[in-house]
Amino acid sequence: MLPMLEKRRTLAGVMSWIGLGILVAFIVIAVLAPVIAPYRPTAQFLTPPNPLCGACAPPSFSHWMGTDNLGQDVFTRVLWGAQTSLEVVAIGVILALAVGFPVGLYSGYVGGSIDKAILLVMDSVYAFPGLLLAALVAAMLGKGPFNIAIAITVIYIPLYYRVTRNQTLSVREETYVEAARSLGARPWTIMWVYIAYNVLITIPVIFALSAADAILTAAGLSYLGLGIQLPTPDWGLDLSVAQQYLTDGVWWTSFFPGLMIIILTVGLSFLGEGLNDLINPLLKKGRA
Amino acid sequence: MLLILLTVVFTVLRIIPGDPIYALYGGRAPLSVIMALRHRLGLDQPYWQQYVNYIVQIFSGNFGISLGAHYGGQSVTDVIMAKLPATIELSIGSMIVASTVGISVGLISGINRDKVVDVVGRLYGTTIFVIPVFWLGLMLQLLFAVDLRWLPANSRFDISSAPPATITGLYTIDSLLAGRLDLFVIAIRHLALPCLTLGLVLSGFFAKTVRANLLRTINADYVEAARARGIRERTIISRYAFKNALIPVITVLGLQFAILFAGAVLTETTFNWDGMGRLLIDSIEVQDYPLIQGTIIVFSFIIVLISILVDVLSGIIDPRVRY
Repeated sequence: MLPMLEKRRTLAGVMSWIGLGILVAFIVIAVLAPVIAPYRPTAQFLTPPNPLCGACAPPSFSHWMGTDNLGQDVFTRVLWGAQTSLEVVAIGVILALAVGFPVGLYSGYVGGSIDKAILLVMDSVYAFPGLLLAALVAAMLGKGPFNIAIAITVIYIPLYYRVTRNQTLSVREETYVEAARSLGARPWTIMWVYIAYNVLITIPVIFALSAADAILTAAGLSYLGLGIQLPTPDWGLDLSVAQQYLTDGVWWTSFFPGLMIIILTVGLSFLGEGLNDLINPLLKKGRA
Repeated sequence: MLLILLTVVFTVLRIIPGDPIYALYGGRAPLSVIMALRHRLGLDQPYWQQYVNYIVQIFSGNFGISLGAHYGGQSVTDVIMAKLPATIELSIGSMIVASTVGISVGLISGINRDKVVDVVGRLYGTTIFVIPVFWLGLMLQLLFAVDLRWLPANSRFDISSAPPATITGLYTIDSLLAGRLDLFVIAIRHLALPCLTLGLVLSGFFAKTVRANLLRTINADYVEAARARGIRERTIISRYAFKNALIPVITVLGLQFAILFAGAVLTETTFNWDGMGRLLIDSIEVQDYPLIQGTIIVFSFIIVLISILVDVLSGIIDPRVRY
């Protein structure tokens, strides 16, 4: 039994490290995009006009991933796209955490009918397809990076709420919390000093997994034309433009943005699942 | 729960800055016309009045008249009824692909625990789940429709031939009912890529669930007992372990429908599939309240219906669930 456990732990460790490496690499790319990208994201290279797709050209030595229909360098836009994507998702997921965590803590600690009411609303929102909800919110707020971040916040609040609430429910009954209560600590102190830290341990896993999902959602919104708008470089948006030329065999404009999305989301879910196995094997009943 | 969703939809739509009439005329219509239209549609009533009307209408099965540029003047129910079969056909096809691929991968993974096949299977489960469904769709299109030219790239039917007469609206069923095998083949060929795309993405979750449950049942006492009686390992897996590992899959199947609908919106866009997902996005773009409401309500209704169905089904299959 023990050696097997060891082996599994190392696998989880390796997965976490790979995931973390990918995430760090993308953050570096996003921050340094203006420096490392060979061209400006909207610079147009209008050399040989192509009857199939405007000014596009296949990958070459000067344009590693080719150019798109407007003659823009795909490699440059893909690098800049990391910036857009990470920005939107980071704001969205952090806001969701900032709302979901306190509400979940409160709801789980107080219990009773307040808890039931919040739970019911959250569950209804959670049951609804995330992308459709985000599309509605995005339509409500209008296009643009910050509004998409808000749309993402709305769909992930229930997730953070649920995880926090359930964890609070079990931590609430621990002996040390009862001890604090009998010593006369106020509810506020109990929640934020005694319970919060022990609930917080579950958060990194959910954070990584929801970020992976959020990247897909954000890209999906842009792909549907409800998210980021041109000329901002964005993976989902560039894919939707590239789609028109795909049937003519222009593959490079859609292949690379998608590949970036996959590498980043795979990295994040490796990180999430690896952490899940590492941090606490007892928490396995959660979202696998 | 349905009522809460309906309320959320109502509220969200009313907060949207801008209104459908403005979206329809782009501010060019004279004020008197706009006011008259607003009055006729009840948009000048107080919000609580609109809300009561809305709930009453929905429960009497009347979803109103579309206000948008695309389907303006048509009954929302008619528009939805015309689009729903396309999405149902896509959903069922995808679920078939997802469960076949997912269960097979999960089964092979679980039997060969910690061997190379298992690692590959688990990597597949994790990776396929995070591939953007529209990107996979585009790549499959590129491979099978553009390069190999085996399958049509998009839409529900060939332009050159007329689809079968509408009975159920499902082209596959309708063509069979009409006894036209040739039309059936065309419908299936058009279904193949969208269903493969959506099904593959959903299969990851199935694979994970089946594997995890198989690992649990494979070491259960009753399986151990069967092994002790000298029953062959093959029989044990297929008759004892696998059957019980499948029970939670029913639950997963129910949960997947919410994800399936989100995926359907994207897949329908990729493959120019004229269904509910496309309808929703189109009506959001022109702020067509009644049509957005109707579409969301139908989606919510189906999700609620399926979750009830799943509860009942798992009760029938697994008596332990009944209480």
